Amino acid sequence: MMATLSDLKISEVKLSGKEAGKWGMVIDQDICTGCQACVAACAMENNISFVGEEDAGYGRSMHWIRIERFWEGEYPEVKMTPNQPMMCQQCGQAPCEPVCPAFATVHSMAEELNLQVYNRCVGTRYCANNCPYQVRSFNWRDYERPEPLPNQLNPDVTVRRRGIMEKCTFCIQRIHRAQDQAKAEGREVVDGEFTTACAQACPASAITFGRTDDPASLVSQLMKRRSHGVKHLEELGTLPNVTYFKGG
Amino acid sequence: MIKTFFDWLKQPMGMIAVGIAFLVLFSVAAFGLYQTQQAPEQPIQFPHKTHVAFGIQCLYCHPGASKGPSAGIPTQEKCWACHNQIQKTQTSALLAPLKDAVIGNTPIQWVPVAIVPDFVQFNHRAHIAAGRNCEECHGDLTQMTIYENPQVMNMGWCLNCHVEAAGEDQEKLIKLSDCGTCHY
Repeated sequence: MMATLSDLKISEVKLSGKEAGKWGMVIDQDICTGCQACVAACAMENNISFVGEEDAGYGRSMHWIRIERFWEGEYPEVKMTPNQPMMCQQCGQAPCEPVCPAFATVHSMAEELNLQVYNRCVGTRYCANNCPYQVRSFNWRDYERPEPLPNQLNPDVTVRRRGIMEKCTFCIQRIHRAQDQAKAEGREVVDGEFTTACAQACPASAITFGRTDDPASLVSQLMKRRSHGVKHLEELGTLPNVTYFKGG
Repeated sequence: MIKTFFDWLKQPMGMIAVGIAFLVLFSVAAFGLYQTQQAPEQPIQFPHKTHVAFGIQCLYCHPGASKGPSAGIPTQEKCWACHNQIQKTQTSALLAPLKDAVIGNTPIQWVPVAIVPDFVQFNHRAHIAAGRNCEECHGDLTQMTIYENPQVMNMGWCLNCHVEAAGEDQEKLIKLSDCGTCHY
């Protein structure tokens, strides 16, 4: 008998899957200078809209990655903690997924990432409200790109329109491109062959991207070498795939 | 005023008027639907069947299909490579736009027909590599003049083929039925 789509049960696949996800990221906060190169690179790679001054004032800025800054201590003795790049953590058990009434944010069983399916999204914004990392952004308007800005749009990424939720995809278009290239050449994807836009742009190499289920990859090596990695809000049981290093 | 109008609608003449109005609306809608299924106007009435009959391979003019996402539409230079050696090019009225395009060095504004929406990321290479032939999706071009889609290219049509291609292989089925394979 041929297997059909309805035969697949997501929970079964999830339970049978590995504890660690497929793709992961390691961020070294000690090297990060907060230069925002990743933020710019991400916006360029993923066709993210520029909302302008007025909408930014309403807190409608659209970024798939942002540099968080925190302060410690009282006024004269203020100390800044290391910069903290924050993007979608591609949770293994994502809080955004079960709340979507349109199944627009679903878990990719093949890549083990959280997907945002733009053509399904109806813009309820429930996912953004349920995201403990606050990394989803919503298209409140059709933000115009004056000529010649449309020429820099990435053809591999959908141009989102008004009323659509969006978030970091771990540059899934680059993953697919690398997989396609590797398949065309009849080999497996090599670690370090490609990386996300943010990791590529980082002048300090604070961001590393790769396969966490491959013990030989650079990401796995870094996680092994420095055992004090932190996964944010891990206590919520979200199984995030981004590891942060600080004070090493 | 409004009441008399509604009273009139209940008279035989009024009923006929309502009937005619419905018929007009229905035919406009039907015509609109019919229009969406028609091949668009092309700058040149390109006869695919003639070119296929000469034994020209699909990949000669659409080489991108085996290399990357887009199959590509040939430029006038590619057409001219053959056509400037053909006497008929100089005389045929149908080929005048091609001659003008080459002389004026202006691109031919072909209208793509087999298109997917922006939120679908389609890759020709993967499909060719999986052993699909052009005519399985694009129809029998030995019978076509201007290209027309032989079927509606929607997600159900894509998925049917994907599920069939996966067969018993669970891992392949997961990959081929994953939202993120085409939508990102």
